[in-house]
Amino acid sequence: MNAVKTIFRNPPLLTFVLVALVWLVASFTLRGFGAYGHLRYLLELAAVIGIAAAGQTLVILMGGIDLSVGAVITVTAILLPLISPAWDPTGLVGIALALSIATGIGVLNGAGAAYLRVPPIIMTLAMATFLQGLLVIVAGGSAVTVSNPAVILLGQSRPLGVPSGVLLWLAVSAVVLILIHRMPIGARFLAIGANPLAARLSGVSLPRNTLILYALSGFFAGLAGILVLGMNRQGYVGIGDPYLLTSIAAVVLGGTSILGGRGTYAGTIPGAILLVTTTALITVVNASPGWRSIMFGTLILALLLVSGREARR
Amino acid sequence: MSAVSSSGWLYGAIQRRRNRGLGGLYLVVAAFLILYAVLFPGILSVGGFSKFTQNWFPLALVTMAQALLMLNGGITLAIGPLVSLGAVIAATTMDGMFGVPGGILAVALTGLAIGTVIGAIVAHLRLPAIIVTLAGSFIITGVALILLPRPGGFIPDWLSNTLAGHTPVAFLLLVVVLLLWKAFLATPLGLGIYAAGDNPVGAFRSGVPVERAKIAAFALSGLLTALAGLFVAAQTGSGDPVIGAPFTLNSIAAAVLGGVGFLGGKGTMRGAICGSLLLSVMINVMFFLGFPPVAQYVAQGLIIVGAVAVPELLKSWRARR
Repeated sequence: MNAVKTIFRNPPLLTFVLVALVWLVASFTLRGFGAYGHLRYLLELAAVIGIAAAGQTLVILMGGIDLSVGAVITVTAILLPLISPAWDPTGLVGIALALSIATGIGVLNGAGAAYLRVPPIIMTLAMATFLQGLLVIVAGGSAVTVSNPAVILLGQSRPLGVPSGVLLWLAVSAVVLILIHRMPIGARFLAIGANPLAARLSGVSLPRNTLILYALSGFFAGLAGILVLGMNRQGYVGIGDPYLLTSIAAVVLGGTSILGGRGTYAGTIPGAILLVTTTALITVVNASPGWRSIMFGTLILALLLVSGREARR
Repeated sequence: MSAVSSSGWLYGAIQRRRNRGLGGLYLVVAAFLILYAVLFPGILSVGGFSKFTQNWFPLALVTMAQALLMLNGGITLAIGPLVSLGAVIAATTMDGMFGVPGGILAVALTGLAIGTVIGAIVAHLRLPAIIVTLAGSFIITGVALILLPRPGGFIPDWLSNTLAGHTPVAFLLLVVVLLLWKAFLATPLGLGIYAAGDNPVGAFRSGVPVERAKIAAFALSGLLTALAGLFVAAQTGSGDPVIGAPFTLNSIAAAVLGGVGFLGGKGTMRGAICGSLLLSVMINVMFFLGFPPVAQYVAQGLIIVGAVAVPELLKSWRARR
């Protein structure tokens, strides 16, 4: 009894138990679900959401929100093949350029939120609209195929049988967890999220940390965009759209408060896996796009009811 | 006697605080309207005025729907899909047994029902509104896609001609909606929506049923949004399961342009309406100047950020002096 209570008081653990339950039940009832290859594929998909949600977790912890994640992923996935220089055989220069563009977009978001005092939800939504238009003007709206060797390696290779996307996710997870829980700057983010006024009066610079956070969010979204591009080998307008809702949902499913100040990336990790599993289960049921959309929304709501509830005020 | 005068003083002070900054907004809107009339004198004729208000009307309705929730301390990201669903239901029910009245009733009831359900989930299950409406938008999009997989359906010609013809019916409807809103604000529940947004604990202690006010806000917001969808269907003469998509951002943008804050209780409905008028004029100008739709996205993103940032910068500049 006590153990059950502990689980319900610890959202990351609860989400993790939920994932384990769903995987167990699905493995026994659906043929092929529990195969190693399939589970590995699910983790690979979850890696994209998890990396995009890393930035989202940080921003939400500070009490903001980033609605431009999907647009940044699309921008990176489309621009990277276009800007990778031909003289560079490794493709790392292209990756560096794309990541700096993504980070730059994040910095602009942060500057708007910090210096122009535009509410983050408006700033990032407007940024997404802006990028959507800009992309069609720049790239012409057609799909681009990637030939950058480093990106393809990242998306396709499996050292020791583990997809490199998952390895990248592990690295990102370690960095983000250390950043939030073991470094002074993480404590500052949480302080701003819990009470901006108290944080400012304690000497935490709001504009500086806002800039850093949105830059990080842009960077991680860019990283997710590169991974998606490597896995798909093609970038097109709209490739990043599904990751906007899923990145927010993964954060909330992991027990992080959407109001900020309370939560951890350790919950977002199982949250991302849970979302991918849900989507995979929906795909198994052969349904029209309309029904799939309904099931996705309903399942997210149901999952939220289990693990995403705000504490009683 | 003294109680009356002190409450009158309090009321005046609160009204002054709420209307702060609106004067500037009125000036900007007036300036834009004059500029528009100079550029396109057609707006001064009855037909031009009708067309202009018809483009504005659905945006005004969804802005009211969004502002209503933001004043109550919530937000909805399901505006676009609900506009689409309203349009789809209108286009699929009007050739049925009950004709146009049945179609209008079906749209209104759907909007009310969806709003009530979302409101009940947010209020009673204590989930954040932003994520509930985001998940809800997927469900609503799915329903619209099932009802009408591709654009089509049927809207009687006379309805299209009445609502979106050469007479300012849309403008009169907007006036009626605004009068109804004023009347609703005079009821305890209407005032409760504001009160619960400004200070939920204080409102609760003063006897406002905070949770019921929240559900009412979501239900009304759903009703207004679905009716906007009905109008869009009449305007285009058919239903389209994705036609509402731009309305989500535009409704938030218009409300914020009009000075409505995100945390509840801050702002006024007349400000929001002015904001929607301003945005509508901007969109119209871009359209008439021959901007491609894609460039409109770019310009819209810039305008929204600018419109929110400039007053803030002016305020902090004034405070520093």
